Amino acid sequence: MNRLMTAIERILALAFIAAVCLNFANVVGRYGFGRSIAAADEIQIYIMVFMAFLGAAVVSWRRQHLRMDVLVRFLPPGLQAALRICEIVLLAAVAGFVLVQSWRYSAQMLAIGRTSDVGGIPMWIPHGAVTLGFFLILVVSLRSSK
Amino acid sequence: MSFALGVLPVALLLLGFPIYLVLLTAVSVALIFYMNVPLVVLHQNLFGAIDAFALLAVPFFIYAGELMSRGSVAQRIVDFVQAGVGRVPGSLGVTTVGTSAIFGAISGASAATVATVGKAMLPAMRRAGYPEPFAAGLITAVGAIDIIIPPSIPLIVYGMAAQESVPRLYAAGVLPGLLIAGLLAIYVVWTAKRQGFEVGSPFRLSAFLRAAARGAWALGAPFIILGGIYGGIFSPTEAAAVACVYAALVTWVVFRELGWSDVVEAAASTALFTGQVLIIVACAGVFAWLLTVQQVPQALVAWIQSLGVSQGEFLLVANVLLLLVGCFLDPLSAILLLTPLLIPVVKALGIDMVHFGIVVTVNLAIGLFHPPFGINIFVAQSALGLKLEVIYRGIVPFILIYLGALALITYVPQISLAGVRWFLL
Repeated sequence: MNRLMTAIERILALAFIAAVCLNFANVVGRYGFGRSIAAADEIQIYIMVFMAFLGAAVVSWRRQHLRMDVLVRFLPPGLQAALRICEIVLLAAVAGFVLVQSWRYSAQMLAIGRTSDVGGIPMWIPHGAVTLGFFLILVVSLRSSK
Repeated sequence: MSFALGVLPVALLLLGFPIYLVLLTAVSVALIFYMNVPLVVLHQNLFGAIDAFALLAVPFFIYAGELMSRGSVAQRIVDFVQAGVGRVPGSLGVTTVGTSAIFGAISGASAATVATVGKAMLPAMRRAGYPEPFAAGLITAVGAIDIIIPPSIPLIVYGMAAQESVPRLYAAGVLPGLLIAGLLAIYVVWTAKRQGFEVGSPFRLSAFLRAAARGAWALGAPFIILGGIYGGIFSPTEAAAVACVYAALVTWVVFRELGWSDVVEAAASTALFTGQVLIIVACAGVFAWLLTVQQVPQALVAWIQSLGVSQGEFLLVANVLLLLVGCFLDPLSAILLLTPLLIPVVKALGIDMVHFGIVVTVNLAIGLFHPPFGINIFVAQSALGLKLEVIYRGIVPFILIYLGALALITYVPQISLAGVRWFLL
């Protein structure tokens, strides 16, 4: 699991560098040559969507999500452990629920062959980032319960 | 419904559950048990909340800051500011303030500034005999300017949540940021005179020009970012991407301090930050949609109007609320949770949304270093090896200075709004 998460992190990092280069190329193209890459904005946004949802799965695995844990620190260790179990159960339930809804939507995008407005990118790909992200979060929560 | 939108999220938040899980649980419970709408709205809103080009500026600016804080950029800015400060009592403290302000115009991430500028300035202040609590308090507090001075990540998120122009917010952040920096510098000089701290070397033009030449590449970043945005050349997102390329070129090619692996490592840490923050943006988007369809903001506006609350009274209450929330929550989560509720009231009372954005940001900036849980306190503790009780003792006067500045910024809107008139072409 650790290797998978590190690989996802690495792929997201390289995709992000590509997004930066694409944006910069567009600025140079617009001012230098009066032209720009039509689908550049869409590709960058979809990379960010992948970073948000797949990145969230990596963050879940590393237990680095933002939370307000200042009050919990004062609770007895037993109660803290019980809360941790509650969190894992709740995470699995909510991630499972979102996964089902997201899967239905992405499958619908695939079935009707919807593409993006400018670049013609099949829309099941960016929407699938939400599905894949919550699938990974579900896997992380199930692994954490062991 | 009040259980799903009120009791449940507040309880889960206080119990320390991840913020995105708190929001997602509340939304899921509302959709399953209280509403009769197609469940597909959950996915649509999660995706729709981050399907926005403007939001790309968040990871881009974080990446530029990550790259710039890895080399000798901070030290070069320190040398430049110190050479310019000249024969001033407490010159090292003033240099700390000036360096943080300039670094804030590059990075916009407060914790990174505390660690980077602190590492450069704390040993120097210790050697010069500054009392440890004073140096610790100054370094911990001064980094908070960075989320007020543009490019600021919280201002981008506020702009998105309140549907306000980011360039206008950026123009409005300049004077409040400089006001706080000025007040901090005045306090440093006053304390230095009273307690007999070191006095800087006399200003020498040749030394200043040498330091300026050495720091020119580092000092170029704010000009490109802010000049590009205010000049109407780039959108904030494009300015952020140009800043990334500039930062990579300066640290990798010009200074030869970073390699390809560092560039990728900085991108990986940016990707993780994006995963931490944008998942909350996505979930807050669904939560805000739910509040809107349940007409919660309208009910809140009607209630506030029935109380006959004036602009000034509302701003006072909002300040207290934001200061309290800022003590426990990071600025981005606080903005995403509170903006959908506060903005309709702000609009109804006729308060300028740009001005309110700056008020929100200054409040949450104070939360960054306010005891007992301000994140910058822990950054100073871990990155600089400062003792917690020493920071707590030293931070009090700086909190009072920020609160004084907050009162001015809240009740004199021109401090924020003059920048919008001056800087935007």
